Amino acid sequence: MSPEHRAAGPNGRAAPPTVPPFVPPAAGPSRTGPAGFLPAPARPSHPPAEPGRPVGDSVYAAPPSRWAPVELDRPVDRFEPKPPSGSSYRPDTIFDGWSSEHVRVRLASVRGYAHRGNGRPREDDVAVGLHGSGALVFAVADGVSGAAQSHLGATLACRTAVDTVTRQLDEGRRPDELAWAEVLNHAAYQLVAQTAKILGLSREDAAAAERLMATTLVTGVVVPSSLGLDVHLVSVGDSGAWLLSGGRRFMSVIREPVSGGPVASSAVVALPRVPGDVRSHSALVSGSDRLLVGTDGFGGPLGDGTGPVGRLFAEHLAPSLEPRGLAHLLDFSRETFDDDRTLLVVWPASAVEAQP
Amino acid sequence: MADNRGNLIPMYVVADESGSMTPVLGELNAGLASLHRALLAEPMAAAKVRFSVLGFSNGVDVRMSLADLRHEDELPVLSSTGGGTSYRAAFTALLTRIPQDVQELKSAGYTVYRPAVFFLSDGQPNSNEDWASVHRQLTDRSRGVAPNIAAFGIGAADAATILNVATDRNYAFVQIPGADIGAAITKFCSALTTSIVASGMSLAAGNAELVVDKPEGFRMAIDVV
Repeated sequence: MSPEHRAAGPNGRAAPPTVPPFVPPAAGPSRTGPAGFLPAPARPSHPPAEPGRPVGDSVYAAPPSRWAPVELDRPVDRFEPKPPSGSSYRPDTIFDGWSSEHVRVRLASVRGYAHRGNGRPREDDVAVGLHGSGALVFAVADGVSGAAQSHLGATLACRTAVDTVTRQLDEGRRPDELAWAEVLNHAAYQLVAQTAKILGLSREDAAAAERLMATTLVTGVVVPSSLGLDVHLVSVGDSGAWLLSGGRRFMSVIREPVSGGPVASSAVVALPRVPGDVRSHSALVSGSDRLLVGTDGFGGPLGDGTGPVGRLFAEHLAPSLEPRGLAHLLDFSRETFDDDRTLLVVWPASAVEAQP
Repeated sequence: MADNRGNLIPMYVVADESGSMTPVLGELNAGLASLHRALLAEPMAAAKVRFSVLGFSNGVDVRMSLADLRHEDELPVLSSTGGGTSYRAAFTALLTRIPQDVQELKSAGYTVYRPAVFFLSDGQPNSNEDWASVHRQLTDRSRGVAPNIAAFGIGAADAATILNVATDRNYAFVQIPGADIGAAITKFCSALTTSIVASGMSLAAGNAELVVDKPEGFRMAIDVV
């Protein structure tokens, strides 16, 4: 739990003054700390700029070495990642891509620099499936760091959501009339059921599932239409979806009232908590537009898309981009942005055909 | 939302420089130097911090403002010229300064997370002034940018006062003789900067409810865990 959530009002101050001492540490800088302590990079280095190296938006075209991270502004110091904790295998990076008659798909999920540094697994995940009707079904999830096994929660939520939407399509539901509350409820209950199984609980416990597997989720369907691609989706938490249109404009598909206070917070509403009023969002992807669906590890640094991150993706998200190229792009390095990142990109066939 | 240049937490060391602190100021300065060294060894954490140092007695001296410690050779040296211990002056300065600093960073394009104050004192404020009302304003989250305050009792500190200053009883500490103050603060800094990435369950869940009943047609996933 973050300090944001531990912080309380002045109630505790009325209690007897039993103040915990701070303990003299061992000699030298402390190497241990609270849960989630961020260790020093194992091998800090700032590689010197190479003569003649392009700067600005062109940086992706000629990185100092072929697979070095794309560096924007001041990058994160380079270091060798620690192995991820946990008993099940969780790769640092996944990527995938394919085309159908109507869509081209690229997706990638990369472990954030913070998790590479502190030995946590990648807590994001993504899943896609092509329905027999030609519809693309997708899900992107961001496990809540405050939950111990949230990476499993993200995986379970993605796969359950794709499975449930696919089943509804199989049953003949129209894509614009999918039962989204049912989709979210199934994903949420999957966390509850699996938590009971993992912990050996005699009965299902939603609160225990929230502590173990809480995750955000954005899931939806992309349907070929005469105008391009119709998108319908729902979201729980702060993962997002955008249309990249006109070459450079990022427009959010999810239109929720902005609830920003005077300072930012990393607290999110997440599954297995489901909004009482489930609202779906729709958009049309046409012409050379692209649909982007991603976690806040991408959405945060993207901002409104007018900065270096937006320019980088606007320039390089061409239909010719290889899946591993998207993973490389997504692993850009810019200091203070060290969360896991996941991004799904979908082009309509019209954009693929129009490419040079 | 505009472009996001980065995620930052403003942090403030507010150090008591009153006459009663004179015997322990050397230890405090050593602690600040230790904090600086430790943060330089945590570059991902240090990148997210903008650091200010305020000394106070009956008034407040700003020794450092919104500094990126990676670019600083050393932290300011605290010193005492005697005088009283006005918690009211210290909290009043923060009440003015913190919203200005947050706005300055936001205007520069940064996403700003809740500020943190590390309050270092022997817990013996002037007895003839009301500091509690200013402290309440400063820490009232309904009024604006209320910081988290971690209070560190130095020397023969009054524990009850330290508890009253901290915004959570888990953020209140009294010193064991010989303890490294810098190391203790560094742990807080690292935990707070990690919390930017470490998302947590929102306490303000609105009308979202936990799913507890098995939905009709539910199927267990069998190929994931």
